[in-house]
Amino acid sequence: MANVFKKNIPHSTFAWENLGDVKEGRGDLGEDMPVIVYRLMQYTMLDVLARAHGEEQANEYFRQAGFLAGSEFAKNVLRLDVDFNAFVADLQKALQEMKIGILRMEAFDAETGNLVLTVGQDLDCSGLPVTNETVCNYDEGFIAGILEAYTGTKYVVREVDCWANGDRVCRFSGIAQKAI
Amino acid sequence: MNAVAEYLFEYLRDVLFDPDRASLDLARLPEDFVELGQGIEFLAECIGEIRAFSKALARGDLNSAIPSPDNEMAAPLKALHATLRHLTWQTQQVAQGDYNQRVDYLGDFADAFNTMTQQLEHRYNALLEEIDRSNMQSQALAQSNDIFELVTRETAQWIAVVERATGEWLFTNYPISNILANEVFMPQLERWIKDRLSSLEPDSESRAVEVDLSFGEISQYFAAIVRPVLWRGRASVVFVLTDISAEREHMNELETAAYRDPLTKQYNRHYGMRLLEQWTSQHRSFVLCFVDIDNLKYVNDKFGHLEGDKYIMEVSATLRGFAPDATICRLGGDEFMLLLDNWTQERAERRCGELRASLVARNSEPDSQYLRSMSYGVIGAQPDNTLTPSELLAAADEKMYAFKRAHKMERPSSV
Repeated sequence: MANVFKKNIPHSTFAWENLGDVKEGRGDLGEDMPVIVYRLMQYTMLDVLARAHGEEQANEYFRQAGFLAGSEFAKNVLRLDVDFNAFVADLQKALQEMKIGILRMEAFDAETGNLVLTVGQDLDCSGLPVTNETVCNYDEGFIAGILEAYTGTKYVVREVDCWANGDRVCRFSGIAQKAI
Repeated sequence: MNAVAEYLFEYLRDVLFDPDRASLDLARLPEDFVELGQGIEFLAECIGEIRAFSKALARGDLNSAIPSPDNEMAAPLKALHATLRHLTWQTQQVAQGDYNQRVDYLGDFADAFNTMTQQLEHRYNALLEEIDRSNMQSQALAQSNDIFELVTRETAQWIAVVERATGEWLFTNYPISNILANEVFMPQLERWIKDRLSSLEPDSESRAVEVDLSFGEISQYFAAIVRPVLWRGRASVVFVLTDISAEREHMNELETAAYRDPLTKQYNRHYGMRLLEQWTSQHRSFVLCFVDIDNLKYVNDKFGHLEGDKYIMEVSATLRGFAPDATICRLGGDEFMLLLDNWTQERAERRCGELRASLVARNSEPDSQYLRSMSYGVIGAQPDNTLTPSELLAAADEKMYAFKRAHKMERPSSV
């Protein structure tokens, strides 16, 4: 028998509302959890996807998931109607408060919209050993999603460098594509 | 074995101290040493990258090639590079006026930078407030100035601002600008203003005065406000002149109606008696002349009142020549009174005699139809005088009759 009163969006389709009321749901344990648990889920999922679809495709799925997360994060957490500097200040603050990472803008070309930024103490990758492979595919998508939500312009974001500095710091380059 | 060690040692020395020369041929190494050679070669590459990168940073070049991720020794330099790039971007934003930029996790530098941006923001906001205030003041001033210009242009008053020390005219409103070229009027106005400036006390305040200026044939009367002001930093005086000629004329008309005899335009009895009372109460030294026209009744009866009026006018005109300071009043009919401040009785009698003689002299003119003459009685009043005005007048009248009686025989009515 179908429950006609329930018309909620299924969890397989992302909706910000479906993230639930964490505060109420975890009255005793609270809203925070160790980063390692987040990474446990992330990298086991990557493992499964890579085995099922190949490493490259798995990375692309991660990038797309990051993009969706970035878009929703921007729409639900950030102010999108302020000037660029205020937007960056908001973003830095939000990322820091939500313990996602420390964002630092390195360059922004107002004419092209291209930018370079670093993220230190990153939730996804800081502390991972630095290897030749780029591991921040989720972050690439996340940043692209945020930038597109604010500017209305498509961005291709790639990790261009990383280094260990006690933590792992990732440097990203965002190249604005043509206006949507 | 020593040769291999020496070869690697030389290579390592070149890597560190003469990198351009540094070269390692792995083929020259025994098989067991190849991996060591490869490791030293990687080390050399890392050192080369760090050397080039740190040189660029030392030059302030933040866009040079970045050491590869494998070069973990370069990590602190990369972190420094990222920090410098971020600070550069933040400083650029501050330079563009974004004072919300804050530096985190950089110790004392972060504190100094954040204090600087906060102070810049504080000063910027203070400056904006000052500009706002200044703009509002300018706006208010501009509006006031518009009103000032409108008022000074539309008013009938003449407004001039003249520098106190030099007499330079700093401002004239529209009405006064119209008469600046008038060669008759302006010299008088300039002279008057100059006199006022020179007679102005250093700390004098606003004062109201009256001034008579001739405009060609016409006299104009002005009520003037003279007020010291600071005009664009220069000690000046503003003169506001209001033309009161019409009011003055009206007052003159009223005065004439109240105090003048309609026929002769000399003062009337009312005015004369008031002046006499005033002088008496002030214990002045003065002379009163009572003048009576001889034969006026005869002229009226014989030639009519028009001729009689002419006769009165003739005597009045003769008396007008008495003296500039004589106050002449027609008491009524054929009687006149002259009041002479600070005259002696003798001098006044002499003058009366002269005028009588000049009147009588006209009798010899060919068209003279009747004999003109006048009788007079002169009374001197001293400060210790105890007579009332009426008594003084009566005494003079009596003397006049005595005179008339004494001269009756020399005075036939007709020619």
